Amino acid sequence: MVHAKSDTSVAADQILIGSNVKFERIRRITGYLVGTLDRFNDGKAAEERDRVKHCSMNTWK
Amino acid sequence: MIQFIKKRDSRVVPFDIAKIDDAIFLAAQAQGGSDRAMSKQLADKVYKILESEGQDIPEVEHVQDVVEKVLIKAGHARTAKAYILYRNERTRVREMKTQLMNTLKKLSFADAKDFDLKRENANIDGDTPMGTMLRYGSEAAKAFYKSYLLSAEFSRAHEEGDIHIHDLDFLSLTTTCCQIDIKRLFNGGFNTGHGFLREPNSIQCASALACIAIQSNQNDQHGGQSIPNFEYGLAPGVARSFIKNIDLALDMRDAPEDFRAEVKQALYSFAFPTGEYASFRSILNEKGQAFTREQLTARLSAREAAHVMEKALARTDKDTFQAMEGLIHNLNTMHSRAGAQVPFSSINYGTDTTPEGRMVIRNTLLAEDAGLGNGETPIFPIHIFKVRDGYSANPGDPNYDLFKLACRVSAKRLFPNFSFMDAPFNKPYLRGSDPDHEVAYMGCRTRVMANRNDPERETTFGRGNLSFTSINLPRLGLKHRGDVEGFFQELDEKIDLVFRQLLERFTIQSAKECRNYPFLMGQGIWMDSAGLAPTDPVGEVLRHGTLTTGFIGLAECLKALIGVHHGESEEAQELGLRIVRTLRERADAKGEETNLNFTLIATPAEGLAGRFVKYDRKLFGNIAGITDRDYYTNSFHIPVYFPISAFNKIRLEAPYHALTNGGHISYVEVDGDPLNNLQAFEDIVRAMKDMGIGYGSINHPVDRDPVCGYTGIIGDTCPRCGRHDGEGIPLSVLKRLKGYVHDSRTSDERSESRDRIANIKL
Repeated sequence: MVHAKSDTSVAADQILIGSNVKFERIRRITGYLVGTLDRFNDGKAAEERDRVKHCSMNTWK
Repeated sequence: MIQFIKKRDSRVVPFDIAKIDDAIFLAAQAQGGSDRAMSKQLADKVYKILESEGQDIPEVEHVQDVVEKVLIKAGHARTAKAYILYRNERTRVREMKTQLMNTLKKLSFADAKDFDLKRENANIDGDTPMGTMLRYGSEAAKAFYKSYLLSAEFSRAHEEGDIHIHDLDFLSLTTTCCQIDIKRLFNGGFNTGHGFLREPNSIQCASALACIAIQSNQNDQHGGQSIPNFEYGLAPGVARSFIKNIDLALDMRDAPEDFRAEVKQALYSFAFPTGEYASFRSILNEKGQAFTREQLTARLSAREAAHVMEKALARTDKDTFQAMEGLIHNLNTMHSRAGAQVPFSSINYGTDTTPEGRMVIRNTLLAEDAGLGNGETPIFPIHIFKVRDGYSANPGDPNYDLFKLACRVSAKRLFPNFSFMDAPFNKPYLRGSDPDHEVAYMGCRTRVMANRNDPERETTFGRGNLSFTSINLPRLGLKHRGDVEGFFQELDEKIDLVFRQLLERFTIQSAKECRNYPFLMGQGIWMDSAGLAPTDPVGEVLRHGTLTTGFIGLAECLKALIGVHHGESEEAQELGLRIVRTLRERADAKGEETNLNFTLIATPAEGLAGRFVKYDRKLFGNIAGITDRDYYTNSFHIPVYFPISAFNKIRLEAPYHALTNGGHISYVEVDGDPLNNLQAFEDIVRAMKDMGIGYGSINHPVDRDPVCGYTGIIGDTCPRCGRHDGEGIPLSVLKRLKGYVHDSRTSDERSESRDRIANIKL
C-alpha cells in the first residue's frame, strides 16, 4: 500500500497518489520468477510477449 | 638507419631488431626448428627491406607484413604459417581487450534499459554499484579465460555460437550448485568462517540458520542453492520449540522450578534420544503426546495438563509460521555474491508425515501465500512440492491436504512447482520413507541422482552440477536442412567437442583446494568433503557431481530439418526424441568410459535465450519459424507461440523428461484466475504426474497494483482503481474503493487472515 499523509486541509481530490508507481508484473522465465519485466533481456522479453495460453480457467470443466 | 617503430596505439618506441629475430625463431621453434643463425639472417633481411623503403618510423603492422613476405620468399612456408597464426591469435586477443574496454564503458555509462548485457541476469539490478561491479568482474573474467585459459577450439565454438559454455565467468573458480542437507549440517552446530553456530534450539532459530547456510554456500558457487529435505531438516526445530513452549506454559502457571526441569529433561530425552539434533523423533505424534501428558500429570490435573499442551501446541504453530515468514523475507532480502543479488534458493518438501514436518510444510505454504510485507509475491525461494503416491499425491494420503493447499498457493503465487516422485525415472530410487532417496530438484530444474562414482550412494544430498555446456541445435539443423543423417553426423562431433570442454574445465576445477570453498567443502556440505584437509585438492570428491550437456531450440532444429516442429507432427516428435535420445546415449557412454557422472539437461537458457539466434540470423538470414524471433525455444519445449492444449503439451513433453536425467521442467500457461478453479489447477498437476513429467509448474500472470493493492491480472489499466501504469490517481477515488484501507493493520491481524484461508488439521 502507498500511504497518503492525511492532511485534511487539502481537498482529497487534489492529492494524487501513485504517480510514477509502476504495476508489478511477476513472470516466470528460465525457471525463476522475476518481479519486473524491465530487467528481462531482449530475448526473454520477446519470449514472454509471444506466449499463448494452453487452457482457460474460466471454461475448464 | 631505423631508430624507432610506431606501435598500434601510436606510441613511438625504440626499434630493436632482436625482437624480429625472436619472433621468427619462436615461430620456427613451434615447427621444430632450432637454427638461431637462420633467424638472425632472416631478421637482417627484413631490416634491409624496411631501410630500403625509406620510412623513418615504420609501423608494427607493416613490419609484420614484411616478415611474412621474407619468410615465404625464403621458402620457410611452415614457419611463415606459424608466424601468421601467432599474429592472428595476438590480434584476436588485442581485439578482445578493446571489446572488453568498450563493454566496461557501456556498463559504466549506459542505462540497463538501453543495454541488453546489463539485463543478462534478470535478478541483478545492473544499475546499482554492486550490480555493476559484478558485471565488470564477469565480463573481465570471460575475456581473460577466452584469451588465456580456455582452449582456442572451445573459445571459438563459444564465441561463434556453436555451443554455449554456461557461467564462463566462473570457469577457473568454482562449480555450479549444491543440495544442502540441513539436518546433517545443523547436527552438532556449524561454522561460517567467522564464528561457531550452535545447534538450533527452536524453529525460528532453525529457519534462520537454513537461510545462513544457503547464503554462505552461495558465496562458494555460482549456481543455485537448494535444500532437498526442508521439512525433515526443520522438524526437529519444531519439536524443540514445542518443548520450550511447554516450559513457558508451565512457567505461566507458576509451576515449581524442579518440576519444570524434570518435564523439560524428560521431553528432550524422548524427542532427542542421543541429545543431538539429528536423533529427532516426533513428540507431536500420538505416542509423543501421550508421553508428554504422562509427564505433566505427575503434578497437574488432567485438565490442567491438557490446557498446557493445547497452549504449547498453538504457540508452536504460531512460532513456525513466523519462522517461515522470516525465512521467506530473509531469502528475498539478504544479499550474497558481493551484495548484488539474493541467493538463488530452492526448498523441496511435501512427504514428511510427522506432525512436526507437516507443521513446517503447512506454515511454509501459508507464509508464501501471505507474501512479503505489503503482500508482494516472493521471488525466492523456489518452492518445490514433492508429489508422491502414498504420501501426498492422492485422496487418503497423509499429506494430501497439504498437496491441495500447495495447489491453492501456487494458483496465487506461482510457487510451489511440483516434482513427481513416481515418474518412471524417479521411482526406482525410492527406498521406503527415507527422504535421502527421493529425487529433489534444484529450483531452475537441475536434477542429480544416479552416481557412477559411488553407486551405493545414489542420492541428491550433498551433490550438484559441476558445469554444463549447451549445443545450438537450430544451427546444426540449418546447416543440414533436409539432410537428417548429415545432421546426426555433425551432432556427434559437437557432442565430442562439449565432452572435451567439460573435461578440460573439470581438470581446472579439480585442482582447486578445499580451503577455496570454506563453507561448501570446509563445512562438509559437499559429499565426502568432510574428510578433506584445507590444502587437499577437491578433484576426488567433485567426482560425485555431474558434468552436463545441454541443448536449446529442439523445435527450431526440427523446423529446419523437416519443416515442422514436434507440436505440429508426430514425425517431428519421433525425430525430436531420436535427437535427444542420441544426446543421452552419448552422455551415458561417456560416463561409462570415464566413470564420471555425464548427464543431459534440458537447458534453462539463462543468458542464452537471444544469443544464438542473433548469430544464426546473420549466418542464415531471417527464416520463418526458425530465426525470425528474438529467442530460441527453451530446450525440448513446444514453442511458446504455438497454440496447443495443456494435455497435448504435457503428453508431448513428458518423454523428454525421461531422457534428460540432468534436469527438466515443463510449463503450462493458463488463462484466467486459477484461484477461481482450483480443481482445474489440480487436474493439470495430476495430468503431469500421470503422463510421466518429472518436474513442472503452471504459469499464470500475477500482476499487482501497489497503489490500490489489487492483485490479479492487469491489462493497460488497473481493474480496481482504474489508473494507468505510472499514473497518479486522486486520493478521493482511492477512498471510495470498496475495501481500500490505509494499511494500519498489525501483523497479528494479518496472520489471522492467513489462518482463515486454510483449515488444515495437524
